[in-house]
This record gives sequence, C-alpha cells and structure tokens, in this order.
Amino acid sequence: MAILERKERVSDEIPTASMADIAFLLLIFFLTTTVFNEEKGLPIVLPEADQEEVDVSAKNLIFFLVQADGSVVVRRGESEQEQVVSANQIEDLLRAELAANENLIAAIKTAPSAAYRHMIEVLDEVKLAGAERISLQMLE
Amino acid sequence: MAKRGGFSRKSSASEEIPSSSMADIAFLLLIFFMVSTVFRKERPVPIDWAQAEATEKIDEKRKNILHLWVDREGQVHINDQLIADGSIAGIVRPLYAENRNLVVAIRGDRDVPYSQINTITEQLKQSGAVRVTFATRIEQRVQRARR
Repeated sequence: MAILERKERVSDEIPTASMADIAFLLLIFFLTTTVFNEEKGLPIVLPEADQEEVDVSAKNLIFFLVQADGSVVVRRGESEQEQVVSANQIEDLLRAELAANENLIAAIKTAPSAAYRHMIEVLDEVKLAGAERISLQMLE
Repeated sequence: MAKRGGFSRKSSASEEIPSSSMADIAFLLLIFFMVSTVFRKERPVPIDWAQAEATEKIDEKRKNILHLWVDREGQVHINDQLIADGSIAGIVRPLYAENRNLVVAIRGDRDVPYSQINTITEQLKQSGAVRVTFATRIEQRVQRARR
C-alpha cells in the first residue's frame, strides 16, 4: 500500500522544469536567425536639376576617365596631359593632389558601356583618398 | 522512514534552485523579440553586389530609405514593381515631397552598363531627391590587392 501511494504523488504535477529549456531554445533560434539589414554604401549628393552651372577653373579639376574596358585615364584640368593608371593607384595619386590643392574637384567620367563596378571601383578610391567634392559624369 | 522526520523535510524545500519562473522569463524575452522584429517588406532582387572598401554604414532611419534596384538586365525596380526608365522621376517625386529626408539607395548589379546608372541619377536629379547612396558590400584589403 505504501508503494502505491508514493507513485500517485509523483504524477500529481505537470512537469514544468523543461519549459524554460524549450523557451530558451526558441529564443536562441530567433536570435541567431535574425538578420539586421543595415544600409551600407557610398553616399553622394547629386547636384540639383535647376542649379546654375558654376564655372570651375581648370586648375581645380581632375578627371578620372573610366573607359569601357575598365581602364582609367587621369587628366588634370590644367595641363590636359593624360596618364593611364591602374585603379588601385588612384587613392595615393589623388591624396597627393588634394594635399597640394584642397579645392580640387574629382570628376569621374564613365563611358556609357563601362560596367557599373568599374565606376564604383574608381569612386571607392576617390572616397578613400578623402575627396569631398566629387562629380559624376558620362564620358562622351 | 525513521530518518524522514519534520526536520529533514524543512531542508528539502530549499534544496533546489527555483526554476519555475525561468520559463516565464524566457517566454517574456521571446515575445519581446518576436514583437520588436520588423520584417522586410520587399522581395530582394537577385543581383551581384559591387564591392568597395570605402563602404560606410548609412545612419538613416529605415523609413527614410528608398531602395532602387537595378537588376542584371538593367531593369529598375522600386517597391517590388518594375519601373520604366523614363518614369523614375515621376515616381520618386511624390515620395520625396512626402518625406524630405529621403535617401535613395541604388542597389545596382555590378555588370550593368554605366549609361543605365546615369539615366537613373539624371531622373533622380529631376525629382529633387539628391541624396543618393550606391549600395555596396565591404571589400577587404587582401581581396583588393589580388585584383
């Protein structure tokens, strides 16, 4: 008789000890599967459409001409001389130029048929060099 | 049985850590995370991202960002809808009038010809939404050196 009584007492309550484990398991599942899609990119401010054109003196301009095949030609506004550079040289080149003239405007002229990534490559370098004044144009 | 006196019973009460409220705590946390999660509204367009080392985090509220997708064929999508190239300005203008802090995130495929991107930026200029970001993925130095 004593054994029978004992058995009954064990099954008296609902087992809630594992409830916390279940809840934490779900919690950890949601925590690990959540993806925060934060916005990342290269910000730039476009000129407004009705803005008047401002004449910039040639010595404050440096052109990066992105060709259709992705090669880059640098043209300084004043001297008109052209120089072919590889994309990863642009940063150092522009940084040196900016140190000499802080009003320099970096104009990126991209050929219409050039892939978007070539333009981004150059824009990336220009941003890395710390240029504040950037202009995007299409190469005629 | 002789050992189970009144004295030993008392000590058995404090023998275990009280875990009955553990489930409540866990469920509370769970419900908090479930409620505060915001699901993305639009379907992502499959594109190959452009990579840039200067990629920065855009510190702008989610509602101020308009995603403009350019897929592999150069077609433009805004809010899950295919947009004709000429009508971008017409669509962005009212959105910009509604929210002056609008930032347009151009999520372009890396192999799209630049003329397409140029058309878009020209249209955005006309609509007045001049704050633009070119969405990119972060590129590591090692990767860049190999290029």
